Amino acid sequence: MDAKLIRELAQLLGKTAVLAGADDMLLYEYDGSIDEARPDCVVFPRSTQDVVEIVKLANRFDVPIVGRGSGTGLSGGAIARRGGIIVAFSRMKRILEIDVVNQRAVVQPGVVNFDLTRAVETEGLYFAPDPSSQKACTIGGNVAENSGGPHTLAYGVTSSHVTGLELVLPDASVYRIGGRTIETPGYDLTGLFVGSEGTFALVTEITVKLSRLPEEVGTLLAVFDTVEDATDTVADITSRGVTPAACEMLDAWTLRAVEAFVHAGFPLDAAAVLLLEVEGVREAAEAQSAEIADVCRLHHAREVRRAADGRERELLWKGRKNAFGAVGRLSPSYYVMDGVIPRTRLTVTLRFIEGVGQRYQLQIGNVFHAGDGNLHPLILFDQRDPAQLARAIAAAGEIMKFCVEMGGALTGEHGIGMEKSELMPLMFSDSDLDLMRRVRSAFNPTGRLNPDKVLPLGKGCGETRIDTQAAAATPA
Amino acid sequence: MTGGSPSVTSRVTSRLSDLLAAGRVFTAAAHCAAYEVDGLQPSAVLQPESAAEIAEVLRFAAAEHLAVIPMGARTKLAIGMPPKRLDLALDLSRMNRVLAYDPRDLTCGVEAGVPFADLDRQLAGERQFLPLAPAFAERATLGGIVAAGADSPLRYAYGTARDYLLGVEFVTGDAVVSKSGGRVVKNVTGYDLQKVLIGSLGTLAVITRLNFRTFPLPPEQQTFVSSFAAAEAALAWCGAIAKSPLQPKLVEVLDPGTTKLFAAQGCRQLKLDRWSVVVTAAGHHAVVERHAQDLEKLAREQQAADFTVLDKSEESAVLRCISEFPREVLDAYPGAVIFRIAVLPSAIPDLLRQSASMLDRCSARAGTNSSGMNQAILVRAAGVVYIALLPAPNAPVGPVAPLIQACLELMDIDIALGVRPVIEWCPLAVKHELTAAGKSIWPPIGAEHVLAERLKKVFDPHAILSPGRFQGGI
Repeated sequence: MDAKLIRELAQLLGKTAVLAGADDMLLYEYDGSIDEARPDCVVFPRSTQDVVEIVKLANRFDVPIVGRGSGTGLSGGAIARRGGIIVAFSRMKRILEIDVVNQRAVVQPGVVNFDLTRAVETEGLYFAPDPSSQKACTIGGNVAENSGGPHTLAYGVTSSHVTGLELVLPDASVYRIGGRTIETPGYDLTGLFVGSEGTFALVTEITVKLSRLPEEVGTLLAVFDTVEDATDTVADITSRGVTPAACEMLDAWTLRAVEAFVHAGFPLDAAAVLLLEVEGVREAAEAQSAEIADVCRLHHAREVRRAADGRERELLWKGRKNAFGAVGRLSPSYYVMDGVIPRTRLTVTLRFIEGVGQRYQLQIGNVFHAGDGNLHPLILFDQRDPAQLARAIAAAGEIMKFCVEMGGALTGEHGIGMEKSELMPLMFSDSDLDLMRRVRSAFNPTGRLNPDKVLPLGKGCGETRIDTQAAAATPA
Repeated sequence: MTGGSPSVTSRVTSRLSDLLAAGRVFTAAAHCAAYEVDGLQPSAVLQPESAAEIAEVLRFAAAEHLAVIPMGARTKLAIGMPPKRLDLALDLSRMNRVLAYDPRDLTCGVEAGVPFADLDRQLAGERQFLPLAPAFAERATLGGIVAAGADSPLRYAYGTARDYLLGVEFVTGDAVVSKSGGRVVKNVTGYDLQKVLIGSLGTLAVITRLNFRTFPLPPEQQTFVSSFAAAEAALAWCGAIAKSPLQPKLVEVLDPGTTKLFAAQGCRQLKLDRWSVVVTAAGHHAVVERHAQDLEKLAREQQAADFTVLDKSEESAVLRCISEFPREVLDAYPGAVIFRIAVLPSAIPDLLRQSASMLDRCSARAGTNSSGMNQAILVRAAGVVYIALLPAPNAPVGPVAPLIQACLELMDIDIALGVRPVIEWCPLAVKHELTAAGKSIWPPIGAEHVLAERLKKVFDPHAILSPGRFQGGI
């Protein structure tokens, strides 16, 4: 990279707000997924105006720009795939305003998800999207990826909780879209920009809805001796019209891994557990808990345990939310997937995933949002072994294809990023993708902003990655 | 402003007959008259049966520079500014199939021309529903409801289509059949294009298929009404409910004008000359009981005059009137102007005060007493206020008429409230008067207009879809 650009960035932002050393760049070449690419420099703006000036410099020096929060993303959204400048928002982390009466907050993009909840919970409020990384991930990142979490089942992904944005477009122009009110006249640009994975604009301010904490939360752990009983339970709960706030499943392998790490009290010999949560007024939580417990027993749950207090609830959730960390202790690398299927297809899909694991000789754990059919198969492998990596990617491709064939989707909450861009043709036709490309070009015409994400790189090469990797990795 | 567009020649009409099978292209003036939009009558009415046929029509329309407006049951075509041109009416009523319904997965997929009522009956058979609760419920189509950006009292608990529309198929103005989203309840794959189609009034694309998340019907529900002498107390009750742990299905406030209107429609239990607050609670028996107890207690604390549990027939009458608010207003006052104003809950009392004093000012200025023009107001406690200005029968419409003055003042209402009022419903004559005054039914659009224009260019590069109806002249 042009040393002159680094100098100008340092002049603009101060020396401590620009990193360009090789060692420093190592820290910014990856996210929570398996892809890597090294940026040329990382800058830390403190204001919208800083961002505008950075974008102007990037234009002048003709280098790519990529926004980044905490780097916890799971699809490579914040990786500088073509190098260039990473705009890290960790110093734009002020909560600008909290409006308790109207249940709104205005935040900078670098505010950590859980920090917002902590700031408002004394008022009986919280920020509903709750990704497992919520103690680290930023709201700017949530907006880019349209992040979800376990409670998405009842409350929707991030876009249902954002009413307005301030944007810096790649031509350095600044716009405010949406507002604080529940709706604004005109096209719903806010709805379009949330989930655009940082490829339309850099978001510099976010207005979010705050939700009211429920009066009562009931947390249930149901233990099953077969996976089928657990998945049948989920389908039955859904079709009976019971709407839990969260409905999570851990399979046998995963719950043993988690128990060894967190000691949440998960039974080591079970085939699957469901972690269910019901919320609302006391009476609603009671009635729904009872109904769910009945359904679990009908499907031969060995045990249905209800958390007696907040401490037990915390412990059960700690087990779920640290599942990926627990797996990380057991395997040098793992690949988290994010496919979605109709909830009636859970049983057949899990059986398919098991078969894939056997064919590719890979351990695959399952810990996922069963209530909305959002799977997170965890494929364990050793990244140092190219053959294993190839097998893992091929296995992932098969699972993705199967999800789409079931009428599902490639990603429920992690985004497409650079991880799944080549899989997009599984769901979308060339003309669908062309329209998406033209929409992106309306805001990011040169592709300078977060290049080579979301959409496949070339027409017709949709399955290149799967096919080439699969050829190198014939099932063992 | 009536009569066929001169741009459509007999050559064109004969080509149209090649595009669709016989019996699905209509050019007789008598037939086209029923498809008039704001005084403009199309030269032809087309009834396509598939997205592919719509693409054919749009390809032809683009080549011939013909303006096209997609329509369902034609219940909401008065929304928006008058179109700049109208050549072809695209009537989607033959695309009326429910394509997929998986009750166990709580999802469904329908063609855009499916009437809401048809789907609702099918869902009810499985004890499920779609929380759209639209106006014109018997006729309105799902494509039309979504394209018009309709909201409903159920947004308090369920949000709007934005929150449960899972995916769409549509045809862009340059004749490309495209889709976004999907069929599953959670999905962030690709750009969320369906978001901008909601409420776009057919200016970006013709929606052909919609996939929705459905919801279980609650086992029980009860509706409560309290009446209040003043708006402030009524709204204070809403505020107390919002701060409580209660989770009602809807909370709606009716001003005395609306209360009177609904009473005339058979709502016997509403108290005249008062502000009424309607709250519905749903769920298990114990949940409904709990809401009944707590709501009554909160109502007493806010000096409610009464607290009534509606019987089933009254409940259905009141809830029907609330959902059908624009229809009830327009049936009783065909000359009414209905504003839709999104506002933060804390600012609602101030908005209502300003609206009332504006009304008094306009009436006084016109030299009539305040009974010359009335209002009917419906407040969704979630943060949308509908203000209907009800002109006296035979009141003139003209530049100095109180109605026009009131419209102009309400459009400019205190920006400190952060509101941007939209006139959702009004007579064509009012649109003309607003235009003459350099205004629109839409609030002025800011710098973000550039973004809207760019989006329009991508979806409809030849500007043939519903030209001129949308904000900023789009």
